[in-house]
Amino acid sequence: MELLLEGVSHAYGDLPVLEGIDLTVRDGEILCLIGPSGSGKSTLLAIMGGLLRPSGGRVATRGAPPDGCLNPLTYVFQDFALLPWRTVAGNVALALEHHRLPRGERRSRVGNALAAMGLGEFAGAFPRQLSGGMRQRVGIARALVVRPAVLLLDEPLSALDAQTRDLLTEEFLTLWRRERTTAVLVTHNLAEALRLGDRVAVLSRRPGRLREILTVDVPRDERSRPERAGRLAEMSAHLWSLLRTEAQAADRELADRR
Amino acid sequence: MKGGGERPVPFRGGGFEARRSRLLPPAALAGLVLVWHVAVAGGLANPLFLPSPVSVAAALWELAQSGALAVHLAASVGRVVTGWAIGTALGLAVGLAIGIVSAARAVGMPLVSALFPIPKIAILPLFILWFGIGEPSKVATIAAGVFFPTVIAAVGGVDQVPRSLIRMGQSFGMPVAAIVWRIVVPGALPIVLSGFRITVAIAVILVVAAEMIGADEGLGAFVLMAGNLMRTDQLLAGVVVLSALGLAGAGLISFAERLLLRWR
Amino acid sequence: MVALRLASSGLLALLAVLLAPVVARSEALTVAALRLSSSGPLFIAQDRGHFAAEGLEVGFRFFTAAQPVAVAVTTGDADFGVTGLTAGFYNLAGKGALKIVAAQSADVPGFPLSAYLATPKAADAGLKGLGDFPGRSLGITQTGSTFHYMIGLLARKQGFDLARVRLVPLQSIPNMVSAFKGGQVDALILPSSVALPMIASGEGRLLGWVGDVTPWQLGALFTSGRNAAERRPLVARFVRAYVRGAAEYHAAFNARDAAGRPARGPGYDTLMPILEKYTQQPAARLATGLPHVDPAGRLDVGDIHEQVAWWQAQKMVDAAVEAAAIVDLGFVEGHRNVPR
Repeated sequence: MELLLEGVSHAYGDLPVLEGIDLTVRDGEILCLIGPSGSGKSTLLAIMGGLLRPSGGRVATRGAPPDGCLNPLTYVFQDFALLPWRTVAGNVALALEHHRLPRGERRSRVGNALAAMGLGEFAGAFPRQLSGGMRQRVGIARALVVRPAVLLLDEPLSALDAQTRDLLTEEFLTLWRRERTTAVLVTHNLAEALRLGDRVAVLSRRPGRLREILTVDVPRDERSRPERAGRLAEMSAHLWSLLRTEAQAADRELADRR
Repeated sequence: MKGGGERPVPFRGGGFEARRSRLLPPAALAGLVLVWHVAVAGGLANPLFLPSPVSVAAALWELAQSGALAVHLAASVGRVVTGWAIGTALGLAVGLAIGIVSAARAVGMPLVSALFPIPKIAILPLFILWFGIGEPSKVATIAAGVFFPTVIAAVGGVDQVPRSLIRMGQSFGMPVAAIVWRIVVPGALPIVLSGFRITVAIAVILVVAAEMIGADEGLGAFVLMAGNLMRTDQLLAGVVVLSALGLAGAGLISFAERLLLRWR
Repeated sequence: MVALRLASSGLLALLAVLLAPVVARSEALTVAALRLSSSGPLFIAQDRGHFAAEGLEVGFRFFTAAQPVAVAVTTGDADFGVTGLTAGFYNLAGKGALKIVAAQSADVPGFPLSAYLATPKAADAGLKGLGDFPGRSLGITQTGSTFHYMIGLLARKQGFDLARVRLVPLQSIPNMVSAFKGGQVDALILPSSVALPMIASGEGRLLGWVGDVTPWQLGALFTSGRNAAERRPLVARFVRAYVRGAAEYHAAFNARDAAGRPARGPGYDTLMPILEKYTQQPAARLATGLPHVDPAGRLDVGDIHEQVAWWQAQKMVDAAVEAAAIVDLGFVEGHRNVPR
């Protein structure tokens, strides 16, 4: 499924945060969204999934969702957004409970999602008993259980430590290769964007505009090879130069923020 | 620093932790009773003003023996339970509505803030005019006393449910009712339950006030009668039972908390 | 708090001893009372200078219920008290805290002081006579109050079981009246000043007067056990002045004409303004319910013994209370009906 954005702009009150975003998320790609803080990345993601009504422009999907898809546009949240009073299995099942499903299917979906994220033995645990990485695994399992057409990941790894982040990145890629689900990933980590993304969209500082869309021209499977490191470093340096000026300017702007 | 010799780093942490102790609470209670007894027996306090714990225990024993305790306890517990249940049910309904619906908040909060501080004891005569002298006015007094703190607890509980959880529910396309029942209500529960601790105590306080008027049975009626008759030993015996009733209520709430808030 | 009170009263006593030679002339006393015409002798003795003549400087502390009056004397906040006799009073007195020294008002035949009143609805439904109380409800202030005792007296006289009358405690006379008007109780016993307007307006039907049916010693003058034991001359001076007031009250307000109807006795016009001043009620209202006060302050001692025995039978007064020990007969001559 494709996601189309045409002339999307948004303002909080009279503070413009996004302006004239035209963007197509292609079927089966991972699009990474980067930009300095306050550039409206998360706002754009919220608009993509229909959680926020943009002040202008429109958002549309094209193509049919996969079989058994219950929630085409599905989020994974930075703070995990788990219900602390529900067990791991309960949190994953939450996404299904308002759908009419045969009991067997519901159980198998939850079981598969937990198994896919390696959560099988934690089904009965409460979120507070889990590490940050395990909590985000629950968040991803909950997204998978509805068989999404487009995954909207809002800085899903930024609350985690570096090692956990690397582990989870690899795990996510392994999973993604199976289904090739269209995904939009908001991040502020260039390495992460270059590790995961087919394309990297760079937003300018507020009001966020699309500065550039960089196609990562190294196949994903080759990105960890040493001979590719040079090319990736080049791209990273290019992205950083784009971001750097924006970030510096944005940083100085904070003082007059309302 | 001069000298430069070796010196152990003094420990500065610790404390400020709620640790459970099995021994201390009963010991504190026993200590209080002991001080009380010694004060009366040693002539420090006039037994006319403060009867000794022994005579209070004797009055309690006599009350239990004659069967009067059971009658008074049953009458008061019935009123407390009914009044508390009604006040809590209405309070939760209104509190959730105020917490969730902005229009209800705009209308409800000022009303609740205006009506909450009215002493229910002062408007007891009004309740008697509205509900008569029998059980309804007593139950209504307790329900009114329980209602407002419950509303405030429920609103506070809803307010502290993280908005991110509600957004999560919306992102999965959950209907409003499902968001309320599966996210908002359980999320508000901890604060609502700690509100219950207060409302249970209020219900016990108000049963005494409610039984001032037109009650011949009930712990409150008994305590007031003992006061009228200047039977201070009976009065304190009644107070002991009332505080035990409050303690039992608090115990039930603790039990409910352990049961419902296992996840914390 | 109790210790503090004891300590402070001890300090005061010490102070009093030290200052005694300086102020020997006039001794300051506090009297706890209600603003009712039954406390008339007290007001008259004060206003007409009888207390001053005994070298007493009397100050009043007014309360709105009988109970606090007894408590104030018990705690030493007042030296004397004048009020109705309740079960609570006897429990305090029984512990040696209070001693009755003279009479206040009494319900006696021919004096409309306390009325039995039925609601029109209850009256139409059969509450027509004094024997019809069983199965009906009666509003009272509190358990152990004078109202409680009066219905007990009636039960004894009429031979019905008090348990068959539903007693509804309502804490205050205004509450009693509103419950009565709202039909939430079938009957009340009320002071005449409240009862008569209700009878006149048809809101209540008069069933009789307590004094005609069951005369009794309603109120008394009392002091603390310690005063009666340790300051007898002072108590005697106070009672002397009080009795002088009682005599004047009786002469002016308890007079009857040849037909037995209330009449204005000598001094009525001079004494009535005193009652008006202290009770803060208009003369017209006071005149309808001037209670009987014995001119010599004599108590119906036997009745007090009966009261204690009745409360004890109700288990509302401690069985250990001895009636003889709570009345000090030494201050007034010729008490009536003294049990041997």
